[in-house]
Amino acid sequence: MDPAPTLYMIRINGHLGATVLSAFPALAPQRHGAHTVLTGLLDRSALYGVLAEIEALGLDLLELRKLTPDRTSPEPGHHHSP
Amino acid sequence: MLDRAAAGKVTVISAPAGSGKTSLVRAWADRPGQRYRLAVLQVQRDQQDAQQFWLALLDAVRQATGADSGAEPSAGTPDFNGPAMAGRVLSELADARDGITLVIDDLHELHSPEALAQLTRLLTNLPPQVHAILTTRHDVRLRLHQLRLAGELAELRAAELRFSERETRELLDASGVALSEAGVALLQQRTEGWAAGLRLAAISLVGHPDPERFVAEFSGSDRMVAEYLLAEMLDRQPSDVQDLLLRTSLLDRVNGELADLLTGRPGSEQILLELEDANAFVESLDPERRWFRYHHLLGDFLRLELRRTLPEEVPALHRRAAGWFTVQGQVINAVRHTQAAGDWSEAARLLADHSFSLTLDGQAQTMQALLRAFPPGADHPELALVRAMGDLAQGRLDEAAAYLAVAETYAEAAPPGRQRRLRVAVASLQLSLARRRGHLAGVIEQARFLASPVTGQSDEDIALGSDLRAVALMNLGTAEAWTLGLPEAPDAERHLREGADLAREIGRPYLEVGCLAQLGFASLVLHSFAATQRRCREAIALAERHGWGAEPVIAPALIMLAATLIWTGEFDEGERWLQRTRQALQTDTGPDITLLLHQTAGLLHAGRGRHHEALEEFGTAEYLGSQLADSQALATRTTRWLPATQARLGMTGEARALLATLDDERARSGEIRNARAVICLAEGNPAAALAAVADVLDGTAPVLGYVTVIEAHLLAGLAHRQLGDQRAASQAAERALALAEPDRLVLPFAMTGSRELLEALPRHQTAHGALLADILDVLHGSSPAAKEQFPSPTEELSPGELRVLRYLPTNLSRPEIASELSVSLNTVGTHLRSIYAKLQVRDRSSAVQRARELRLLAASRTR
Repeated sequence: MDPAPTLYMIRINGHLGATVLSAFPALAPQRHGAHTVLTGLLDRSALYGVLAEIEALGLDLLELRKLTPDRTSPEPGHHHSP
Repeated sequence: MLDRAAAGKVTVISAPAGSGKTSLVRAWADRPGQRYRLAVLQVQRDQQDAQQFWLALLDAVRQATGADSGAEPSAGTPDFNGPAMAGRVLSELADARDGITLVIDDLHELHSPEALAQLTRLLTNLPPQVHAILTTRHDVRLRLHQLRLAGELAELRAAELRFSERETRELLDASGVALSEAGVALLQQRTEGWAAGLRLAAISLVGHPDPERFVAEFSGSDRMVAEYLLAEMLDRQPSDVQDLLLRTSLLDRVNGELADLLTGRPGSEQILLELEDANAFVESLDPERRWFRYHHLLGDFLRLELRRTLPEEVPALHRRAAGWFTVQGQVINAVRHTQAAGDWSEAARLLADHSFSLTLDGQAQTMQALLRAFPPGADHPELALVRAMGDLAQGRLDEAAAYLAVAETYAEAAPPGRQRRLRVAVASLQLSLARRRGHLAGVIEQARFLASPVTGQSDEDIALGSDLRAVALMNLGTAEAWTLGLPEAPDAERHLREGADLAREIGRPYLEVGCLAQLGFASLVLHSFAATQRRCREAIALAERHGWGAEPVIAPALIMLAATLIWTGEFDEGERWLQRTRQALQTDTGPDITLLLHQTAGLLHAGRGRHHEALEEFGTAEYLGSQLADSQALATRTTRWLPATQARLGMTGEARALLATLDDERARSGEIRNARAVICLAEGNPAAALAAVADVLDGTAPVLGYVTVIEAHLLAGLAHRQLGDQRAASQAAERALALAEPDRLVLPFAMTGSRELLEALPRHQTAHGALLADILDVLHGSSPAAKEQFPSPTEELSPGELRVLRYLPTNLSRPEIASELSVSLNTVGTHLRSIYAKLQVRDRSSAVQRARELRLLAASRTR
C-alpha cells in the first residue's frame, strides 16, 4: 500500500453548492454537465473520510478513480504473489 | 411492505441517508391492530462503547416487556462482560409473554466490533415470539448467513423504499399540497422517489403561493436535491429560527435552555416545539418534549453552513456548551465540546479528573474513544492516568505500569489542590496493577494513606473524592485480602466494610458489590465456613439485583461460595457455583482468581474420586501459580494438591520429583508433609507415612489451616490400617471427625479415600455419629461410577452427523467441511441442524462443548 497521497477524481450527481462543498476543503470542484467532479490528493485515511462524508450527506456517488499510474506494479522479471 | 418483510425473524433495511427507513418503521409500528410490543433503540452517533450500546438495548427491551418496574435500573460496570450482557438481553426477551419487535435504528453508527459480534449472536438466537428490524445506511458486518440460509432474513434496500408517483401523490395530499399530475411526476422524477427529498419538498410546498412554479424551478436546477431543498426550507424560516438552527447544530441533542445559551436569546423552546409541529426535520426525544434532535441530513447541512458562515464563533459556541454540560455533570459531552473548541489541556484535565467516576459509570470505552480524539504528538501528562486505566482494563500491564509512572511524576508537580486526588488515583491503580500481577509485597505499605479521606472544597470535589476514596478502600482491602495472611485480615475486613458503607452512601452499587464480594472472599481467614457462605450469598444476592450475578466483580464471592460448599460436601451445588464463576471470568481478570478457579475445580474432582480430572486442574493451577511473581500464599496452597493427586494415580515417581524441587521452608510445611505421606501410602510404606505426618499431628509443623491437621489424622489412620492397627486407625479417624465437626467438613474424608477407614469405625465409639453418617452418604454417592454427570442424548447421532461433528472444533467453515467430506453444503447444513437438535444446543461452540462432555469427540466414537 502506498502511504503517499494519490490524486483521486470523484464524480457526484448534481451541482454541489458552497455549503456542501465546504465539507471537502481538500478537494477542488468542477462542474461537468449535471455532475460535480472533485479532485485532490488524498491518502488512504483521507479518502475514507471523504467517502464517509459523501455517505453522511446523502450524495449520489457516480465514480471514484485514482488518477496517477500504479507505481507499485512489479517490474518485468519480478513475480509478486497477489 | 414491512408486513411482508417482518414475517422473517430479522429484517434489515439498508439504504442511504434520508431514504425513509425510520419513518417506515414508525408508520408500521403505529398502524392499527399492531400486535407486537416495540422495543426501540436509536444507536448514538459514532457509538464506540459496547457497554453503553448494550445497556441502552437492555433498557429498551425492559421498557417494552414491562420488566423495568420494580427492578434496579441497569447500571454500567467498569468490567463489562459482553457475552453475559447479550445473554441477559436474550433472557429478558425470552421471558416476554407478548410478541416483541426489536427495532435498532442507525446501526451503521455502532463502531464496536465486540458489540457487533454479540449482536450477531443475539439475532441468530432470538426467541420465537421476537423479531428484529435493523436500519442502517450501509451494510454492516453482521454475520447473518445462518439466518439467510434458513430463509429467516428479510432485506429491504433503497430501490424498494423509493416513492412511486402514486405514493408521492399520497404524501403531498397528506400534507395538504395541491399539485397537478404533471407536477407530481416531475417532482418524483427529480427526487428519484427519495423520501427525504419529497418530505423536504412538501415542507416548502405547504403554503407556497405557486407550487407548480416551485416544482418547475426545482426540476430545472442541477443543484443536488438535498442541498437545494434544505436551503429552500431554511430560507423560508424567520431569521431568529435560522440563527437558532445554525448555532445549535453542533449539539447532538438540544433543549430550550441550551439553545437560549447558544443563541443569547430567550424563547428557544417555543421555536423548537413549533419546528417539530411543522414537521420540519426536528423531533423531540422524550414524552415531555424537552429534548430535541435534528434529522441527520439537516444537522449535517447546518453544521457545514455554521462553519462556513460563522467560523470564528464555532469555538466559543462549543465552549459555552461545554460549560453547560459541566455544570449538569454530563462529563462526556463536556469533554467532547471542550475538545471541539480546541481547548485540549482543559479537556485533558476534565477527562483525567473524572476518569474514576466515568469508569464506575461504565463509560470506560467511551473514555478511551475520547482519548483517541486528542491530537497525536502533543501529549498531556494528565492523560497518562486515563491511558493507564485503559491498559489495565485491557490487560496490558507493562504499558499500564509505564503510564502510571508518568502519572505519578505529574502528580508530584501538580498544584496542592489536585495533587492529593491525583496521588490517590495513582496509588489506587498501582494496587490493582500489583494484584493483577501477584506483586503484593511492599505495595500495600505504600498505599496505606488511601484509607484516610480525600479533602476537597467544592461539592464536586467531594463527590469526585468519594468515588475515588471508595475505589481506594476497595483496592486496598482487596490487596490485603489476597495476601491471605492472618495479620492483614482485620485491616482487609475494616477497609472493605468501610468501602461498602461509603459506596452505599454515595450510590455506587458496583463498588458496594465489589467490596462485599471481596469481604466474602476474605472471610474464611477469620470466620467459620458457615459465616463465609452467608456473606458470599449476601454479596451475590445484591449483585443479582443489579444484574451482575455473572460479572467479574462478584467472582471472588462466587468462587469462595463454591469452594466452601465443596469443602462441606455439597458437591453438586458447589459445581453449579463453580460454573457461574467460570462464566464470570470469561473476561480476563488476572491469574490469581483463575488459579483459584482451577484449584477449586480440582478439589471437586478429587472429592468425587476423579483423580485424572483433578490432576489436570491442579496442573493448570500450579502453572498459573508459577506465573504469579511473589504471591507465595496462593502458590503454596496449590502445590500441595498436585503431588498427592499424582501419588493417588500411582505416579509416585513424578510426585517425588516435584517434592524434590521445593525449597526447605515449603518442604517443612504441614501441607507438603501430608503430600509426602500420601506418596508413602501409595508406595506401600505406611511407617514412612506416619513419620511424615508426625510433626503435623504434634503441632510443630507450620500449617495453613486446621484442614491440614484433619487430613494428617486421616492419613495416619490409613497408615495404621495398612499396618493392621485398627484401634489406632479408629482413634485417628475419631480425631479427624472431632476437628471437622464445627464446620462439618466432608472433603478431606473424600479426598483421602477414607471411606473404609470410616466404615470400620464402630458407630457406638464415635461422638460424631451424625457427621459420620453425612460423610458416608456423600462418599457413597460420589464414587466415580455412580455419577453420570450428563444424561446421554435422547437420540444417538448418526454416523454422518458424527463425521460432521468431528469438524466442529476446527475453524473450517461449512463449505470447507462440505468439501473435506466430499458432500454438498446442504448435507452439512442438514446434519448440523440435526446435531444441534439432538444435542439441544443453538450454536457451534456450545455443540462442541456438549459433544466434549458427552465424549462424542473421542477418536473411538467418531469412526
